[in-house]
Amino acid sequence: MSKPYKILAVGILACVLVVALTPYLWILLASFKGRLDILSPVPRWFFTPTLDNYPAVFIGKDYLPLVFNSLIISTASTVLSICVGAPAAYVFARTDFPGKEDLFFFFLTTRMAPPISIAVPLFMFFTVLGLTDTIYSVVIAHTSFNLSLVVWMMRGFFAEIPKEIDEAAMMDGRSKLGAFVRVIVPMAAPGLAATSVLCFILSWNEFLYAFILVAFEGRPLTVGIPGLITPHGTLWGQVAAVAVVATLPILVFTFLVQKHLVRGLTFGAVKG
Amino acid sequence: MNRTKQSARGQYLLDRGASLPLILPATLLVLVFLVGPFGYMTYTAMTDLSYANPDQNGAFIGLDNFRHLVRNDSIFWNSFWLTIRFVVVSVTVEFLLGFFLAWLIWRFIERQRLLTTLLLVPMMLAPVAVGLIWRLLLQGDFGMVTYYLHKIGLLSRASAVFSSPDLVMPAIIAIDVWQWTPFVTLIVLAGLMSLPKSPFEAATMDGAGPWRQFIDIMLPLLRPIIALVLLLRGIDAFKEFDKVFIMTGGGPGTVSELLSIYAYRVNFKNWNLGYGAAVAFMVYLVVLILCSIFYKAVYWKPSARQARAR
Repeated sequence: MSKPYKILAVGILACVLVVALTPYLWILLASFKGRLDILSPVPRWFFTPTLDNYPAVFIGKDYLPLVFNSLIISTASTVLSICVGAPAAYVFARTDFPGKEDLFFFFLTTRMAPPISIAVPLFMFFTVLGLTDTIYSVVIAHTSFNLSLVVWMMRGFFAEIPKEIDEAAMMDGRSKLGAFVRVIVPMAAPGLAATSVLCFILSWNEFLYAFILVAFEGRPLTVGIPGLITPHGTLWGQVAAVAVVATLPILVFTFLVQKHLVRGLTFGAVKG
Repeated sequence: MNRTKQSARGQYLLDRGASLPLILPATLLVLVFLVGPFGYMTYTAMTDLSYANPDQNGAFIGLDNFRHLVRNDSIFWNSFWLTIRFVVVSVTVEFLLGFFLAWLIWRFIERQRLLTTLLLVPMMLAPVAVGLIWRLLLQGDFGMVTYYLHKIGLLSRASAVFSSPDLVMPAIIAIDVWQWTPFVTLIVLAGLMSLPKSPFEAATMDGAGPWRQFIDIMLPLLRPIIALVLLLRGIDAFKEFDKVFIMTGGGPGTVSELLSIYAYRVNFKNWNLGYGAAVAFMVYLVVLILCSIFYKAVYWKPSARQARAR
């Protein structure tokens, strides 16, 4: 390939990176800005940073519990979906039974279901059970959509484990469950880890289910965000601080599972 | 991945007795918490239930809601076509741009790791946070992007993009493109990296130029990946709620009221749950259709299976 073309390509990609990253950089900067620096009509790239925004919103406005709610909801729904979904995925990877592919497709449709269609009846359902406005309702909702992702992703990871391993495990004279937990699960560990992280991210980022199911008690960080925006006098420094806390951990996680991300995002169809 | 009938030996960790308890909890959970609510919604859609009107206490009215929705509800149809336009335009732009970027990276960049990692940032942010970020960037009097767009003459000063009926949908589409183009790039790049070398070498020896190679070899080989990306993005864009809800709430007026947002308004602002369920049902129906196309296009064709077995 000729040199000028390569330079052009690198130039284009550099511009794309700038466009892709600057908005996030800006909110990161805004979270360390004082009120005047944010409201300046001419964008201020250099300013005297302040740490006031973070304590003001997380302590002053009591947003810290929301971070813990987010953590609890994401962790609990991830653990639940893995524990329930991984064994099912193993069955899909190893056996044949009538209607298997239909059941598999059924799991896909549940993942694709628009939250607005499911959240409304789920809201009525949890009202009857008295679970609205509790963390449990969100955990259950998130588990039900993450579950199908686990089934879809883990089926592929389990299928990559040679069947001979199953046989060898049984030769050891262990029970079936023992063989699954002690031999198959460790072999699928990288896949399990990637799937868990992806579940965690999806649950952490989710908004609509949580927004409808919990109005106050037990609401996660994403649900707290709209409350910070007021028609007049939105405190953007604090909004930015919340946005940063709501996103930075996820970016770190993303870089950890980057290798398996393509696979997760395509429901196992593309192995990146 | 081998889906053919497996030997009895290979299966004995999972005979009939062992499979059932493993697969049952997952199926039950989904049945109770997704299919159950969905069934209940379908029933509600056939009642006149409304929390706002005490007279409408959930009497069964058959298909009246759907009849009204399809025949008389112009807001629904506006919202429907708005959503279709949003999906078609943003997914097309994302696809073309994302494909081009993937091709550039594949063709010219040797060390891709850092680049793809950084490209991931927009799409991994919580959509609510994305909405928030762009609300700040596009503020009328102090938004950073507003300022620079004004500088290069694309915006009149201090025009608040999200309260201008002409600008709001283009802005929402641009933001969706900003967030999701990397998704297309990432997946197409994964597809390009896995292309076999030999067809291209053979074509070069036969004297086929780069353009012919692109049309005759690369595109057909990438077809499953292309179908996958278009459908996944299409389904997701059709369900769009979070970003738009935070940025405009469907406004000004109903200019940016996508279907999900309309469904939300009928249910949780007007508390008209029977009619709202009918709207939500229609959203689900479209997604279900797209979803089964997705499944057939990507998972059932032999070509797709080859792509997976790679």
